[in-house]
Amino acid sequence: MIFSILSLTPELSWMLIKVLVCIGFLMLLAPPLTWVERRGSAMIQDRIGPNRAALFGKIKILGLAHVLADGLKFFFKEDLIPKDANRSLFWIAPALAFIPALLGFAVIPVGRSFQVEGVTYHLSLIDPNNGMGLLYPLAIGGLAVYGVLVAAWSSNNKWSILGGMRASAQMVSYELGLGLSVLALFVAVGGYDPHEVILDQVEHGWFLWRQPIGFLVFFVCQFAETNRLPFDFAEGESEIVAGFHTEFGSMKFGLMGLTEYIHIIVASALIVTLYLGGWSIPFNGDGDRWPVLVTVASFLVKLLFMCWVFVWVRWTLPRFRYDQLMYLGWRIMFPLSLLNLVLNAWWITR
Amino acid sequence: MATLVKKIQLSWWDRLYFPSVLKGMWITWGHFIRQILTPTSKRFTIQYPEMKKEMPEGYRGLHELKQFEDGSIKCVACFMCQEACPARCITIEAEEFSDLNFTQGFEEKRPKVFKIDMLRCIYCGMCEEACPKDAIWLRKDYELAAYDRLSLNYGKWDLMNTYADTDGKPIQTESSELPPSPPRNFVTM
Repeated sequence: MIFSILSLTPELSWMLIKVLVCIGFLMLLAPPLTWVERRGSAMIQDRIGPNRAALFGKIKILGLAHVLADGLKFFFKEDLIPKDANRSLFWIAPALAFIPALLGFAVIPVGRSFQVEGVTYHLSLIDPNNGMGLLYPLAIGGLAVYGVLVAAWSSNNKWSILGGMRASAQMVSYELGLGLSVLALFVAVGGYDPHEVILDQVEHGWFLWRQPIGFLVFFVCQFAETNRLPFDFAEGESEIVAGFHTEFGSMKFGLMGLTEYIHIIVASALIVTLYLGGWSIPFNGDGDRWPVLVTVASFLVKLLFMCWVFVWVRWTLPRFRYDQLMYLGWRIMFPLSLLNLVLNAWWITR
Repeated sequence: MATLVKKIQLSWWDRLYFPSVLKGMWITWGHFIRQILTPTSKRFTIQYPEMKKEMPEGYRGLHELKQFEDGSIKCVACFMCQEACPARCITIEAEEFSDLNFTQGFEEKRPKVFKIDMLRCIYCGMCEEACPKDAIWLRKDYELAAYDRLSLNYGKWDLMNTYADTDGKPIQTESSELPPSPPRNFVTM
């Protein structure tokens, strides 16, 4: 075995497999998601969407070749840096946006834990009881604003800086509602580890039904966090060109685009873990009854459905105005999440 | 001047937003399902190179110089179309000819050169209306593209053989009967 040649311990090799699979999954799911977005939006708007690119000029596969063509195009385009841009920041900005987006997935369990020969294996990158729990993806999600801000600041462009400022204000405002709605969930569970949250949901039912207000707030705030329509103020084609990535080209732009979709996947994973019962299978009290792969499949189905909801909402709702966004964040989402917290606190002490 | 926007007072049900959002999502879902279940040939979009639009009655496209059954040109080089043409894209040079089979010994007139510059033509159909012999017709073909300007200067042979391929033979489609018509049928993807 390759693991014995590299003299890896079983724990280390298990970790290695998990890292490769998880990162590979995120990287491989994001490009097809662009396809889902383009074709899905076309279908929603009674169009047909991109279907012309073909592999070797023959195999059209429903326009999936466009994903490959786009990727190739990004690699071969000239990498321009504006004259007065801050070169070093301009170079690291895409990475600053990309890496936090990837990291958020680390604590999310994609299937139930299982035991082989007395050793327990967990299907999340970081094992449970690590002391960070769900605070980790929230903190990492907060870091994502730096990618946007640094990109906006370094490109020395007024549209960029407008987009970056809006994005940062929006993310900071909506993180309040986000944090508080999750807090109510922690109160109900009595712990903040994703494994505990899922096991609690296996036992008592999904939080979607137990905390609908919390779900609503969390869901809406995730749209703001991922900078998706109806809250896409970081980009806003109609007013500030492409917003924070106006000056980015070639693979830098590709990375920015990929970041958005990885954000969607991670946000969907969070929603699934927190409110849709994670890997658990509905109408099934005992979580250990199903094989591990079935639980993984259950998680994936929920995850893909949530990703589709992100696309679906984008092509349904028009954009907000900026002051409406702030109003919604501070005067509706924030009080709602507080109310939700108080209600849940009262519920458990009752 | 400032425009006063009249604010509409929404009811509390409307101000909840979520019912309306769900309604909107229901509508887009309906469109999605309907579009995805519609076969390509029945969708609004016409997938151009594979499918072609049936042009409406009275559409004016590429010109055709009509022939008699024996293949001789109907045009008598009267210059009416050239005069009527607002874009001045028709060039005619007349010639006299005599052929015992057709003209019974009389001298008759026909075009030696009949050129239409397709880049100047505005497809107004005035030549068709001006023609006393019904010799020039505008057809429904619209795919007039070329890589250089010269090849869009259609000559007499081109205009007489607009039903034909570049080798002069009629275009054969699989389902065509004589006289061959250009491929205007819908081809599904």
